[in-house]
Amino acid sequence: MIELKNLTKRYGRTVAVDRLSLSVAKGIIFGFIGPNGAGKTTTIKMMGGLIAPDSGRVEINGINMGRFPEKAKQIIGFIPDRPYLYEKLTGMEFLKFTADLYGVDQESFSDTAHAMLERFSLLDWKNELIEAYSHGMKQRLIMAAAILHDPTVIIVDEPMVGLDPAGIRMVKKLFQKLAAEGVSFFISTHTLSIAQDLCDRIGIIHNGRLIATGTLDDLKIQANASEDDLEAVFLKITQEEQLGAQYSQISKD
Amino acid sequence: MGTIRTLLSPRILSIRNKSDINLLRILVFGLLGIAFWGGLFGISYRLLIYFQSIEELGDILAWKLLSMVLIICFALLIFSSLLTALSKLYLSKDLQLVHSMPISSYKIFTARWIETALDSSWMIIVYTLPVLIAYGIVYSAGAADFIYGLLVMGAALVLLSLLASLLSAIAVMMAVMAIPPGRIKTIFVFLGLLLFILLYFAFRLIRPERLVDPEAFSTVMIYLKLLETPSSPFLPTTWAFNAIRAVLTKTLGASLLNGGLLLFSTGVAIFVAIIIADVVYFKGVSKSQTARQPLRKPKDDGFYRPGRSILPRPVAAYLAKECKTFFRDQTQWSQIFLILALIVIYLYNFKVLPLERAPIKTVYLQNLLSFLNMGLAALVLTAITARFAFPAVSIEGEAFWIVRSSPISLKSFLWIKFFIYLIPLLILTELLIVATNLLLAVTPFMMALSLATILFVVPAVVSLGIGLGAAFPDFNSENPAQSVTSFGGLIFMFISAGYIMAVVVIEAGPVYRVFMAGVLGNGLRATDWLWIFVSFGSILLLTAAAIFYPMKYGHDRLARAS
Repeated sequence: MIELKNLTKRYGRTVAVDRLSLSVAKGIIFGFIGPNGAGKTTTIKMMGGLIAPDSGRVEINGINMGRFPEKAKQIIGFIPDRPYLYEKLTGMEFLKFTADLYGVDQESFSDTAHAMLERFSLLDWKNELIEAYSHGMKQRLIMAAAILHDPTVIIVDEPMVGLDPAGIRMVKKLFQKLAAEGVSFFISTHTLSIAQDLCDRIGIIHNGRLIATGTLDDLKIQANASEDDLEAVFLKITQEEQLGAQYSQISKD
Repeated sequence: MGTIRTLLSPRILSIRNKSDINLLRILVFGLLGIAFWGGLFGISYRLLIYFQSIEELGDILAWKLLSMVLIICFALLIFSSLLTALSKLYLSKDLQLVHSMPISSYKIFTARWIETALDSSWMIIVYTLPVLIAYGIVYSAGAADFIYGLLVMGAALVLLSLLASLLSAIAVMMAVMAIPPGRIKTIFVFLGLLLFILLYFAFRLIRPERLVDPEAFSTVMIYLKLLETPSSPFLPTTWAFNAIRAVLTKTLGASLLNGGLLLFSTGVAIFVAIIIADVVYFKGVSKSQTARQPLRKPKDDGFYRPGRSILPRPVAAYLAKECKTFFRDQTQWSQIFLILALIVIYLYNFKVLPLERAPIKTVYLQNLLSFLNMGLAALVLTAITARFAFPAVSIEGEAFWIVRSSPISLKSFLWIKFFIYLIPLLILTELLIVATNLLLAVTPFMMALSLATILFVVPAVVSLGIGLGAAFPDFNSENPAQSVTSFGGLIFMFISAGYIMAVVVIEAGPVYRVFMAGVLGNGLRATDWLWIFVSFGSILLLTAAAIFYPMKYGHDRLARAS
């Protein structure tokens, strides 16, 4: 369960995220979409405890990230958009490193890690230095590390970047399986087809504010759109929002 | 030329658009730079005036010094250009972008060479100029003469820099065809350090202290005669030297000939470098992109097997990560070599101390040196800490998100780093102290005092390193070990040196009293005991502050920054 309450973050004069409130129930895959610079990555970073909000709060399974960051992070699996890793460790060593930080059971680690590496098609590469991995392989390794400790909430920034079609299919299935087991997902993406295929609920962020949220059908009603295509719905909602913003600016002037 | 200007424009625009200008930083670095520049000028000028006062030999010495300055300057330019050319031509992050554009590779090379020439030489030129200005003042007849001389000297220096960067770029392009660029960098750094050590030992083995010994003076005269031997006529430094000497001694013909030689050879080198670049540069870039596989596969050494470590799991995880990352990164190996060299030089200097010929009583001198040695060893510790502990946070690089998203607090992360570096540095410094004290044959009291003092000083210096390294991190640096030359690194060096000096000064009084009481066989008075108590109490408080405050400061700044 994820709860964001009046989350606000400013960078100088720019308001990156403006009083954002939403909740993601247990076992739900929530897609977070928006144009470039809308505030998606800032939101994700606040949820993962990488940056602190200026006001508002993040609660993960009722645990306040601001007050108990270590406790909250313990139940999160965080997958960033760019796979920066310790290049001089091997894949297996990185998994062990992660397991030690998250306190994964030592006895079962070896079996779990092997199963993970096999699932993400990295078993043959387990003893190679990460610097020799391709972009997609690094992304898969990060995913394996993120679910190693059985998190109840997974936060993902651009999940499919760098993955090949087989990888995308595998990840989609995995996410759906984990969601069915009760894991909540918060996925930020530009790839609207993925949001449409994978997500139970979708939120649209624009200029730091959440301008629409609900299922695809809810969004269609909100946009007054007849198409079944999320792209058309998204464009309509964001353009209307943009026009509204311009109109209010002109009125003010 | 338009394309090359376009290729250089991102660099110029980045400098122009730089928004995080820190005035304090500019002021500190500026003042230090000016002080160093002024010092070099002052020393050079005084030396030349002194040489002028020596009949017959004065000019020979002055010209030999100029020749040596130019040779050292050229050697530094070559070394600096080799590393810069390698980075600019083959290791830059924007190479793929630039090579994907419809531009000839020789044009890319030319733009990168211009950057190399500027980056590798500006500092060497700036700090060679005061020496040349001193020559200009001493050897010029008037203002016009001085300005003309300065222009020729400046031009010679710039041509030497261009030539050095061209020769280095050609050498790098050839080397990359045979060896991957990452490996070449390690080899160059290693060779550079080796050269420095060899030069140092060569200098030490000459034993310059003998020059003040009248018995050895005849040998010195023979040596000075040899100084008149001319240098090789094929060396660019000889042409530069001849041009400068000719202009200062008003022989226009020789000045033009040697200046022309320098100018012509630089022009030829530009032409040759561009032709070579057109043929091999892209091939080298292509090779460097495909040579990322490690030559040696890492062994499964069982370091990560469960149930082995007695340390808490996060500590063991970071320790293992830190060790593996360090030993698998060849660019770090030169650091170990540097430390070994530093220690060997340090110990060697103690070994060759002529204590028996000193005019002061040996026991007193031995113990005085031992006391001062605590401070010196702590300064060596500062240098090592600056290279290892200070970049410990920056070394996480862009993978720092792993630390921030993990269930380990920033505070714990910093303290884990602190302990990882504390233990080896403590052992190293204590061993250094024991070894030097044994060489000095000090009293047991001084041995115990040194060991105890170092036991306090090491945690404080390491904490300063980790804390200030966290306060001034650089997660984007290609080589975080170089962050020691940053503003934060400089602050660390200053504060650490200040702390060490404070400890030595506070300890000096009571230690002298205790030592003299032992030598004279007198007991200590109540006031002595009070002094000892207050002094050592102050050191304890100072050390506690130096351990905890930097860590808190680093934590707060790092938390705010992220």
